[in-house]
Amino acid sequence: MTAKSYDGVARVFDLLRAGDMRRWEPAQQTLFKNLKGRILYVGIGTGQEIVNFPPGLDITAIDMSYEMLKRSGPRVQNYNGDIHRSQMDAQTTGFRDNTFDTVLTVCVLCSVKHPVNCLQELKRVLKPDGELVMFEHVLSKNPIYGFILKFMSYMTEYLEGTYLDRNTVENAEAAGFKIHSHKNVYLDIVKALRAKPPE
Amino acid sequence: MNLKVADFFIGTFAGGTVALVVYLALSSQSNMFLTMVAGGLIGMALVLPLKILLMPFFGAFEVVIPLGIIGMGVGMTTGMLSTLPDISGYVVIAWGDLIGFIVAGIIYFSNQRYTTQ
Repeated sequence: MTAKSYDGVARVFDLLRAGDMRRWEPAQQTLFKNLKGRILYVGIGTGQEIVNFPPGLDITAIDMSYEMLKRSGPRVQNYNGDIHRSQMDAQTTGFRDNTFDTVLTVCVLCSVKHPVNCLQELKRVLKPDGELVMFEHVLSKNPIYGFILKFMSYMTEYLEGTYLDRNTVENAEAAGFKIHSHKNVYLDIVKALRAKPPE
Repeated sequence: MNLKVADFFIGTFAGGTVALVVYLALSSQSNMFLTMVAGGLIGMALVLPLKILLMPFFGAFEVVIPLGIIGMGVGMTTGMLSTLPDISGYVVIAWGDLIGFIVAGIIYFSNQRYTTQ
């Protein structure tokens, strides 16, 4: 999906994600307590997750869609901390190596075209002792849930460029990360993950 | 409304709706195998707009997973039930409601197991 497509979705994005945000609020607040240092927030969208951030963080937020970034404005301004926004593709960011202490992705790795390449790029900009924090949905290992997700993925891929059949845990490991915290938020589909680059 | 309670209402509502539509569409048929297949297809097609309608309010995965199971499961079983002679539409709808409620319950306990691992 292109930046232009996300620009089109931006108008209804808050409505589409409203139910998810109500469901995920407690799990996100718990996960986001781990954010520290200089943070790269990948795929800010309209900034719905900002209300779940602890105050006082130093965040660089990126998104490939100008419309999404524009709509995140009020939430960024209301946040009690620093958020700087840039229009950038997560697969080819313009940051130097080892720039960030923490990289955060929220439902990003289901949308990028090449998730392993994206994760390798995130590893590049993450400091060697930094942490990748992910709140992502993945393909279920349960055959019934997995079948439904694969079936629905054809539709979501077409409508909003989201894949429901991604193996994000395996992709993170393929990109060279080591998962050290793995919590299921809903079934084995929505997950709160923390990973580190190899030592 | 508490979202966990809402999940049971959604399951029951979707099950009853699929059962009603399948019963209205197939009650005049007599081949149990064909009505089972047709009921499953009608159920799967019917839950698609329901999913789109409910997802923004109740969460994408919490709607997609149960309705995916209910659409096919209730559609197939009510398709077969609809061929039985003298069966009331109310019984078929109650069956759909019951299956929808049970699916919501199974997913609730399945979720408890996954999230406490």
